[in-house]
Amino acid sequence: MPPFRTYRAEALVLKNAPLGEADLLVTLFSREAGKLRAVAKGARRSTAKLVGHLEPLTVTRLALSRGRSLDVIGQAEILDNFTALKTNLTAVTRGLQVVELVDEFGSEASANEPLYQLALSILAAIGQSPDDEVPLLHFQLHLLAASGLMPELFDCVECRRKIEPDQHRYSADGGGVLCTGCTPVHAGLRPLSLRALKVLRLLARSHATSLPSLRLDPALTQELKAILTGTLQYWLDKEIRTNSFLNHLARMDKANTTGG
Amino acid sequence: MTQEHLPSTAPSLARLIQELNKLPGIGPKSAQRLAYFIIRLPEEEAYDLANAIAAVKQTIMFCGQCQNLTDASPCTICASNQRNRAQICVVEEPLDVLALERTHCYRGLYHVLHGVLSPLNGVGPDQLKLRELFARLSEGSVNEVVIATNPTLEGEATAMYISRHLAGGGVSVTHLARGLPVGGSLEYTDELTLSRAFQGRQAIE
Repeated sequence: MPPFRTYRAEALVLKNAPLGEADLLVTLFSREAGKLRAVAKGARRSTAKLVGHLEPLTVTRLALSRGRSLDVIGQAEILDNFTALKTNLTAVTRGLQVVELVDEFGSEASANEPLYQLALSILAAIGQSPDDEVPLLHFQLHLLAASGLMPELFDCVECRRKIEPDQHRYSADGGGVLCTGCTPVHAGLRPLSLRALKVLRLLARSHATSLPSLRLDPALTQELKAILTGTLQYWLDKEIRTNSFLNHLARMDKANTTGG
Repeated sequence: MTQEHLPSTAPSLARLIQELNKLPGIGPKSAQRLAYFIIRLPEEEAYDLANAIAAVKQTIMFCGQCQNLTDASPCTICASNQRNRAQICVVEEPLDVLALERTHCYRGLYHVLHGVLSPLNGVGPDQLKLRELFARLSEGSVNEVVIATNPTLEGEATAMYISRHLAGGGVSVTHLARGLPVGGSLEYTDELTLSRAFQGRQAIE
């Protein structure tokens, strides 16, 4: 079927960048067609009608027309701009990590409704509880699942036997948990505490719209972050850029609470 | 455009095209057009252009106080005794200083960050002139910091970072009002801008 010249889409704005004198190149993750890039003509002028609708971390309903190389945004209407999230620096940075990872794992011209819904629910959850680490950890694990890369959390990835309590390790390279009897040549084999394994299993079962209420101590949070970030970076084969600023903010908060 | 792509071009001309091609917004075709324009210029004018580029590279530096680009440190604004030294307006880029100066409504000092926090692009506090700002403020003569970063997500994140850093330090932190642009239209304004314009409404005098 030949594509229509104009079409509509509902999309989360992932990022934008200046293009030419006054245009904006917008990267979107749409419900209907996955990741797409489109141009908003003249959107950088202060009187432009589109500019406020195309900031990152905004869900918009768009009318687009197909262009030769890039589609052109004609109209935009905000559906959700996550106002609560945007008033807290840590929450904004966590939100930026969500869009960074959607940008990295989302495919162009291929709809992924579960990932779209997951991203929107998590951004809302981060806005509701900016100090809670759980929404971002949930997102990281379920992003792997939505991309077909869910780590194995129940059986040893080498011998396929059921994992016994306190007899486990983790390998991003191997694809999940390992029993202590198996010693493969995988790089990146790391210890995995029983409570971290339990939290991962709980997060895997939970839904983004009803996240479990967990009180994670700093050591457990660190362990979970290291496992999930390590796995994501293993598949991406590069650093998650927003991590360094998130860590900077965490150090700043720690210094403030200890009076340093 | 590299020399390999221009086998019949004289090496010096190919080099000029290659250098012009590095300028923002200049593609290979524009670089070729500019290079041939420069060749046709009278010798004097071509040397004037080359000397002007050499002169800015030799004389332009960061002002030791506001970090704006200047040919003398401190710059004319920082050195002026007509300015209110208790106010510092924080902007993203040197061009923002010119824009604010054109309004003739601000008489304080400036601080140029030379960018904005951009976690998605790996730009953190160390890549900006934030350390210099906090050092200036620690001297204690400033009582208001006006944050004039752009009202974008990254500009707002930068404003929140500065505000968080200065919390409890006795310096008042404000930012420019958000609202409707002159000549704009309510119908096409996004909800966030419109709600902020509504919150910031003022009595008509």
